[in-house]
Order: sequence, then C-alpha cells, then structure tokens
Amino acid sequence: MNHAFLHNATQAGLALARQALLLAGIAIAVFLLIRIVPGDVVDAMALEGSLDEEAIADLRADLGLDAGALTQFRIWAGRALGGDFGMSLRFDRPVSELILAALPTTLILAVLALSAGLALGVGLATAAVLWPRSPLPALVEALNLWSIALPTFCVGLASILLFSVGLGWLPVIGQWLSPVLILAIDNAGQVVKPLHEDLKEAATASHIRTARAKGLSPARIVLRHLLPNALTTVVALGGMILAGMIGGALTMEVLFGLPGLGTLAFQAISGRDYPVIQAVVLVFAAGVVVVNGLADLAQRALDPRLRR
Amino acid sequence: MSASAMAALPRAGGLGPRLGLAILGLALLVALLGPGLVPHDPLVQELAARNAPPDALHWLGRDHLGRDVLARLAAGTRISLAVALGATLLAVGLGAGLGVVAEALGRGPSFLVFGAFDMVRAMPSILLALTLMVALGIGTWPLILALGIAFAPHMALVARAAWRRENAAGYVAAARVMGAAPLATTWRHVLPNIAGALVTQAAIIMPRAITTESVLSFFGLGVSPETPSWGRMIAGATRFAESAPHAVLAPVAALCLVTLGFALAGDRLRLALDPLRERGR
Repeated sequence: MNHAFLHNATQAGLALARQALLLAGIAIAVFLLIRIVPGDVVDAMALEGSLDEEAIADLRADLGLDAGALTQFRIWAGRALGGDFGMSLRFDRPVSELILAALPTTLILAVLALSAGLALGVGLATAAVLWPRSPLPALVEALNLWSIALPTFCVGLASILLFSVGLGWLPVIGQWLSPVLILAIDNAGQVVKPLHEDLKEAATASHIRTARAKGLSPARIVLRHLLPNALTTVVALGGMILAGMIGGALTMEVLFGLPGLGTLAFQAISGRDYPVIQAVVLVFAAGVVVVNGLADLAQRALDPRLRR
Repeated sequence: MSASAMAALPRAGGLGPRLGLAILGLALLVALLGPGLVPHDPLVQELAARNAPPDALHWLGRDHLGRDVLARLAAGTRISLAVALGATLLAVGLGAGLGVVAEALGRGPSFLVFGAFDMVRAMPSILLALTLMVALGIGTWPLILALGIAFAPHMALVARAAWRRENAAGYVAAARVMGAAPLATTWRHVLPNIAGALVTQAAIIMPRAITTESVLSFFGLGVSPETPSWGRMIAGATRFAESAPHAVLAPVAALCLVTLGFALAGDRLRLALDPLRERGR
C-alpha cells in the first residue's frame, strides 16, 4: 500500500516536472521569437509621431531595449518568476495589471462554455443511449458534424450577420450570449460522439447485463452503472477541449468585443507591445500546461488502471 | 432534413460525401481558373460605389473600397486554398519528415525532436501562429511558414505512431537482417506504408489551416493587406457589416462551405487516398 502510494507520487511528480520543463522551454522560445521581430515599439512610435534620433535612443535606453538579448532575457525571466512582467510599452501600466484585469473575462467565458458544453454533450449522449430508437443518436452525429464542419470563427461571423445585422435581436459588441453558446455547442459536438461510443460499448459489459437481468430500470442502470465509468472519458475530453477552446475563446472575444486576454493580445499585437504579447502567450501556455496536468491527475485518481 | 438522412451524412457513399466532394471540386475549379472567371479586377477601387449592393453587373456588390466582391472572392479562393495547401505540405514535410527521421535514428534524436514538438503542441495552434506571425512579419510566405510550423507537431505524432506500428512488422526486421541502413529502410519500405495515415491527417489539417489563415488575416497578421484572401475580405468588411452585409457574407459563406465540404467528404477522401485501407466494407 505504502509502496504503491510512493510509486504513484513519483509518477505524478515526474508528470508535473515534465510540464514545468515544457513551460520553461515555451518561455525561452516565446522570448526569442519576439526578439527576432524586425522593428520594435520605438520604431512603431517613431513612424507615428515626430521622434528625433536622440529621443529614440533615450526611449530605447529607458525601456531596456538597448541591452543584449541574453541580458534582457535574464532580467525578464527573473522578474516573470515573481509575477512581474514589466511595464506595457503602450499603456504605461504594469503588464501584470493588464493581465489581471483581462483574466476574469476569459476565465468566465471558458468556464461557462465548458460547463454548458459538457452538460449538453453528456446529457445528449446519455439520452441517446437510453433511447437508441429515437432521433437522438442521429442528433449526436449531427452535432458532431457541426463542430467538425463549422469553425467557431465562421459561426460567430454568421451569427453577427444574422442576429445582429439582419434581425437586430442582439447587439454586436459586448454581449455574452452568442460567444458562450457558440463555444458551448462546439464543445458539446466534440464530447458527444466519443462519449456516446464509450457508453454504447460499456452497455454491453457483463455487469450491465447482470443489472438488467435483476430488473433495474434503464435510467438507473445508466445513472448508477454507466455514467460513473464514463467519468474518465469526460475528464479526458474536458481537459482536451479546454486546451483547444483557447483559440476559439480568443477569436470570440475579439469578434464580440469582450475585454479578455484575447482582446488584450489583439491590441498588443497591433501595437507591438512585446511585454504584453509575451505575458499573454505565457499565461495561455501555462493555462494549457496546468489544465493538461490536472486532467492527467484527475484521470489517475478516477481510474485505478492508469496508476500502474 | 430527416433524422435518417442526418445519420447517413458522415458515412462514405451517402449523399453527404458526394455533396462534400462537389463543394471541394467547385472550390478547386474556382481556385484554378481564379480571376479569369469574373470580368472585373479584384484590386480596382471605385470609391463612388462604396458598399454598393449587388446588381446585374456586380453580382455580389462592392466592398468598403468599391471593389467587386465576386472578383475578390474568386481571387481569394485561389490565395486561401494555396496558402492552406502550402502550409499542409510544409506540416507534412516538417512534422512527418523530422519525426520519422528522428525516430529512425534512435532514442536520443527522437527525444530531442519530440521534446521540441511537445513544447510547440502545448501552445494552441492559433496562438502559436499568431506569435510566429508577429516574429516573421505579415506576408504570404511567412503565413505559410507559420501555419506549417503550427500544424507540424500533430503530423509528427501521427507519423510516429504509424512508423512504430510498421517498424514492428516482419518486413522491417527482414530488411534490417539483410543489412539495410535504418534511414534507407524507412524511406524505401516504411514510408509507402505510412503514406495513407499521413494523407488522412493532412485532410484533417487542411481545413484547419484554411480557418486559421482567415483568423490570422482577420487579426491583421495574415497575407499583406492588399492581397485578397477570405480572411482579409472578412477583416475589411466586418466594420461595415451594418451597411454592407453582402461584403461580409460572401467570404464567410465561402469559408463555411469549404470547411463543411472537407467534413462531409472526410471519409470518402480518406478511402480514396489511403492505398492500404480496405474498400467496400
């Protein structure tokens, strides 16, 4: 028992160390990538306004842009570990402040879309197993095809054209209904088919036959015996979807004018605001790494077979 | 659409795959013939006719700079499809090439290459492509490069799985016993056998590359601003969606139709392109 616990802890520790290593690698890569950019924020400012040579040099020295790449990285990484991402080159505010201000919007959007999507996906898959002769299994296929065939970017634009411009039911900017629904339906479409397959296969297991033979109602069989066993699939899919949804959430924020990390990244990219770009990319990457790690741990906790 | 028809959609041989192939065929035709199809120049601006609605001469109307939307759509089809195809080919070459070579060379190279790919994979492909475009600058070639790099790791994983499966087969052992070098064995014997898996994955990556191209262009990071791609058209016209919805609708519909075409044709495409998969099952 004790030995097994030690083994599990080591396994989990190794998995975590691997994720941390990945994150460090990403940090270096992102920093180097952004440094390759020809032209920096000072160039961009000089194009817009009237900065003379001396002012340009002063500004560079002020912003620490005149030091070598290695020095800049050492300073940046040291501070970033302490949560200090430096000053935004555009907004004259600390990057961490901008990130913290934008984070809740993105988190709420992601959590709403994930929970609504999982609820819809799990509910539909369960109902389709309970009533296999109804149109529900066909609906599973249709929802799955929807999420494969129609990217959220397309659906978002189409819904703006239809509901905001055409029918005038919803404002274009600043409403949450469309982005949450679009992301949730997309998520549900990704979950519902593998879960349905999983449940259908599990329904042929011998303990289900026993339960049916002793007279349990179909609803009780699904709720007590099938769904708990499908929980690992749901967790695995949920982690995958949350990581995959980041791209969609980023686009939805910009399309519908929600002030989240996606919109912040969008502004930072057009303004060549490197510290903000670096920080946003790192926060997203850290989010993916953490979500993957948590999903992995949750799966180990839920499924004893994975612990060996 | 009836429930039974919906259930039949994703299967090969039903109505869906045919519809999908028809959409893709049409898109390919437009991309090949391109601007020759429409008697207007996609770049000529006529500011007096800004946001003009569709009429007999300009079937899809004009955009916010008075350019013919249909002409831009035809030119944009060529660019969007060419960029996606280039990116997919690069992803296959980079991902599958590096992955298989590293795997064939042994544990050390494989650990290094797939460690790097893991790092790339930890970032959502859209975010990675965004960062790469910031670094590379806008333009058609940087866009193809960024998309190719962003999708390469997915290709590498598929290639590795297929390579490992094949490598356990008897014919590889036979080639090894006969003294063939690992890379030569991979090239001559394994590659033809994993080509089907690579093509399948490429058919999955291609529509995603098309969408990502549009999103990047929408963010102002794709092809250069004057180049008509679907994403650039959407980006330019969205601000005027209230007064000229037709200029947004055209590229959005094209984008939705092509991704739908890939999804519908998916199975059929795989069956047609995979030399090893059994047919008529």
